[in-house]
Amino acid sequence: MQKFQVSDSELVSLYIRGDEKAFEKLVLRHKSRIYTTIYLIVKDQYVAEDLMQDTFIKAVDTIKQGRYNEEGKFLPWIVRIAHNLAIDYFRRDKRYPSVVFEDGSSVFNTLDFSEDSVESIQIRQETHEQLREMIQRLPEVQRQVLIMRHYEEMSFQEIADATGVSINTALGRMRYALINLRKQFSQRTPQYDKNVYLR
Amino acid sequence: MTKTFTYDDVVRYLYAETSPQENNEIVEALTSDSDMLAFYLDALELQTQMDRIVRTPPSRVTDNVLRYSRQYPSSQTADLSI
Repeated sequence: MQKFQVSDSELVSLYIRGDEKAFEKLVLRHKSRIYTTIYLIVKDQYVAEDLMQDTFIKAVDTIKQGRYNEEGKFLPWIVRIAHNLAIDYFRRDKRYPSVVFEDGSSVFNTLDFSEDSVESIQIRQETHEQLREMIQRLPEVQRQVLIMRHYEEMSFQEIADATGVSINTALGRMRYALINLRKQFSQRTPQYDKNVYLR
Repeated sequence: MTKTFTYDDVVRYLYAETSPQENNEIVEALTSDSDMLAFYLDALELQTQMDRIVRTPPSRVTDNVLRYSRQYPSSQTADLSI
């Protein structure tokens, strides 16, 4: 995990004491991880935006009302809120919205492409788009474990506890998720330069 | 006795959930099992790719959140002076 000069706990403490700048730092620090987690579950950018907002609003309410447990860690806590809201949405609607993709310009704005050619940027964008689609096509239980481990940074034991399975089952699901992604990649890549992609 | 490592152990290793001793043994196991090594290298590459697909929400979303926090009614705020 990335290390920051001021820890999340310190920022939360400052925020509890009324420092809005501290909260802004927390939001800017974690917005992408939280948004990506939600997006990979709901598959719709507009729903993801709404749920991301709801997530932080819930966090603000909890902290401002003095109900936040300062002994815990901020990121896992807020990612759990995001995850639960996304799952609630999914269950409530009992449907999977069709995937909405925006034009490439804003999708990859966290990446630095300044030294790349237009062609390589395009290929990379397509690769990333493919990977998102592949993750979204994984069987539900595999996708769940993959998102929880990779994006929510939960341990396999925590995932096992949260999903009511043994750690071996959680590990097995992750292994199959990786194997499936690897298989999908190898099936889709020949249309482009093989050197750019995974085997 | 030498422990036999499974692909699940490699998954734990990939996500840094193995002990320092297991790490050494898994590295050893990877060098003697080309299929397992191929799985590990592919998984490592996927891990890197998954880090790169992180999306950033539009600034209006974060602006709304920050505004909500700033305008939070003081009557609902917990009194921390007690």
